[in-house]
Amino acid sequence: MKKFWSMLSVLLIAAMLLVSCTPKATATPVATEETAKPVTITIWHQWDGAYLTAIQAVFDAYTAAHPNVTIDLTKPDNVSDALKVAIPAGEGPDIIGWANDQIGSQALVGNIVDLGTLGVDQAFLESTYEPAAVAGVVWQGKIWALPESQEGIAIVYNKALASETDFPADPTDFADLLAKAEAFAAANSGKYLICNQGLGNADAYHVAPVYFGHGMPTYIDDAGNSYLNSAEAQAAAEWIVKFHEVAPAETSHEICKTMLVEGNAAAWWTGPWAIADLEAAGIDYGILPMGSPFVGIKSLMISRNAVDRGTAEVALDVIKFFTNAENSKTIALANKTIPANTAALLDADVQAMATVAGFGAALNLGVPMANTPFAGAQWGPVGDMTNAIWTGAQTPADALAAAQAAAEEAIAGMK
Amino acid sequence: MVSWSGRRKALTILAFIGPTLLGILALNIYPIIYNVYISFTNRNQYHPNPDCTVFLTSVIEPGCWPMFRSNAGMGQPYVIQEPLFANYDSLIGKLFTGEGVLALVKLALLFAPLIIAGQVNKRLDRQLTRPVSSFWVWIGGLAITVLLAWILNVGGAMKTLEASSDFFIVVFRTLLFVVITVPLNYIFGLILALVLNGDYIKGRTFFRAIMIIPWAASTMFIIMSLIWQFFFREQGTINQILRAFGGEGLAWLANGNYALAAIILVNLWFSFPFCFNIILGALQSIPADQYEAADVDGATYWQQLVNITLPLLRPSVMPAIVLSAIGGGGFQMFGTVWAMTGGGPSQGAGVPGATELVMVYAYKQVFQYNAYAKAGAFAVIIFIFLFIATLYSMRISRITQGAYE
Repeated sequence: MKKFWSMLSVLLIAAMLLVSCTPKATATPVATEETAKPVTITIWHQWDGAYLTAIQAVFDAYTAAHPNVTIDLTKPDNVSDALKVAIPAGEGPDIIGWANDQIGSQALVGNIVDLGTLGVDQAFLESTYEPAAVAGVVWQGKIWALPESQEGIAIVYNKALASETDFPADPTDFADLLAKAEAFAAANSGKYLICNQGLGNADAYHVAPVYFGHGMPTYIDDAGNSYLNSAEAQAAAEWIVKFHEVAPAETSHEICKTMLVEGNAAAWWTGPWAIADLEAAGIDYGILPMGSPFVGIKSLMISRNAVDRGTAEVALDVIKFFTNAENSKTIALANKTIPANTAALLDADVQAMATVAGFGAALNLGVPMANTPFAGAQWGPVGDMTNAIWTGAQTPADALAAAQAAAEEAIAGMK
Repeated sequence: MVSWSGRRKALTILAFIGPTLLGILALNIYPIIYNVYISFTNRNQYHPNPDCTVFLTSVIEPGCWPMFRSNAGMGQPYVIQEPLFANYDSLIGKLFTGEGVLALVKLALLFAPLIIAGQVNKRLDRQLTRPVSSFWVWIGGLAITVLLAWILNVGGAMKTLEASSDFFIVVFRTLLFVVITVPLNYIFGLILALVLNGDYIKGRTFFRAIMIIPWAASTMFIIMSLIWQFFFREQGTINQILRAFGGEGLAWLANGNYALAAIILVNLWFSFPFCFNIILGALQSIPADQYEAADVDGATYWQQLVNITLPLLRPSVMPAIVLSAIGGGGFQMFGTVWAMTGGGPSQGAGVPGATELVMVYAYKQVFQYNAYAKAGAFAVIIFIFLFIATLYSMRISRITQGAYE
């Protein structure tokens, strides 16, 4: 009996081994049936809150027209960190929705692919999208993304608390802005005129209109020259010190949004992405340009993993669909964004939107955001420098000198 | 049975320990070797990918192995630094220049009076009657330290060291954090344990259970840290309470010193239940007859505490203290700080933030600045530092075994 059992177990194990050795049914893809094969497209994006609803609808329309395609939208907390781990492991997304300043550094690591290799050419770009958007997604003569929308920040104010006369008529007059903020704080105890999440939080993007509005050309230019310790930066830093007295000491996206919605701040220095949330909260808002913001291009890139998995063709089709004239218009009308697609932007309904007029005026004053890898060296130093000036940890002169040194050191490490 | 020939025996043993050995090699030894190798290169965001034609790189770097091999981006591949120790030099090189060494020696000299005071006390303890109590010897030692600090201008030396390297700032701040936080946690735990060990407290079990709550909550420390962060915000709970009493609070986490204090306080909240539990357990293992004998001799509560309780607590508590000083609640603190301040508030560009402890600094170097090689070198230095500390701690805990003998 015992022998029988041991024989049986040996046979069982042998059988299992044999089963596991059987060659798998060969899964060679049949090229002609490419479209019918089920494909899952993963998109890592930065779309937030109410903003996402209209975008989701466009992807739903795509999957309805292509039943074999599933689109999975994910918003990682920190895209940059997540990509570092996921792409080499082959578990990265197919499409990355990101601002164009990331193009240089992502292309250096090889996380994103040149869309030229997938058949996108310059003629298609120029005939479909706005010139500024086209310039934003091309780096070193190669096309790295398709542009979705153009964005920059402006003053979004609550009409219940303030009117146009509470803000400077001249968007470059920062002395007037300071005077008006002081007047507002004096008239409304415990309330503030403006919440800017770049002041009171290390955020070089949101503080950019202040520095550039004082005449600084940009933080770091395409050639790697840094302008952090210029006379214009010094003037801006001194303005920031004075503005600290009439602004909330600690800020973030959420804090500013809450302050505006609850009426503790009359305005929020923010971009088109915030509008959908404000409309959902029932705020009657107006938009005014101030300073010169960074002009960024929200864009969609295709990852190396999509090429490895053979899903790049479908992914490209998805982003072309997403940025075509009809869908760009739908999203622009729902989210009040400024489309990168020329036909959508020239549409009469889009042109009639208040946001296009308001943010458009800010964009016209703005500084284009570089997509070279040098752009990566600006965020840390400018954020730390501004925060140190804001909290008083360093004097403006010391902070600017230290930031200039840090940026130059970082640029030296790239060359 | 088959006979055990030498070779056969060796093979059998190898077959048995092989899997474990492979595991240790792959999971412990290989990452250390990889890290040490990277620390000698110039790998960063702009030199992100390996050059697989270099033999050493092709062996060590997984990106070069056939199964992981992938197309490189547009970046230049990383190379071995020239000179070899360039990363180490930029981290701690300036500490070993003439000025740096002088400042370090001055700092080390400060400990001399305290060590001497300890030795003097040891010698005096052996005499039948002490001419001076140990308290006054310590006070004397401290007084000489303060005098020495003034004579040697240690403030100036500190400034030199801080200006010379981020490494010094970060490690010194972390040591300061450990020196404050660990004793604080244990003193707080000791007081609570003494109170709740008393026979006269009603509902002891209830209170003991309550005390565990912060510790239980620390399994979701990110959420708890964020709640604490909200307490300390400009518009947070603490300031709202202050306002109700007519006071005016400030943005606590925007001030470097207050931010560090807040972190120590929050860490105390997370850690004291652990200390409390260890001490409570140890208290209950102290034989009651010791106290009865002391009562008969007419010893006061204070005398019993100093002469019976504390010496008998030492063997069980000392290893726990040393381990928490080296571990995640001490030198390797990361989660609470990261969630509450992210290493901030900023002290300016190119300088570590006010609460940037060792682990936070390393994390930021890798994930914010992509300075893989620099972070690798930093990790190697910290590893050596912690390795020595661990060896020393093992010695301490062995010494303490003698207390009952």
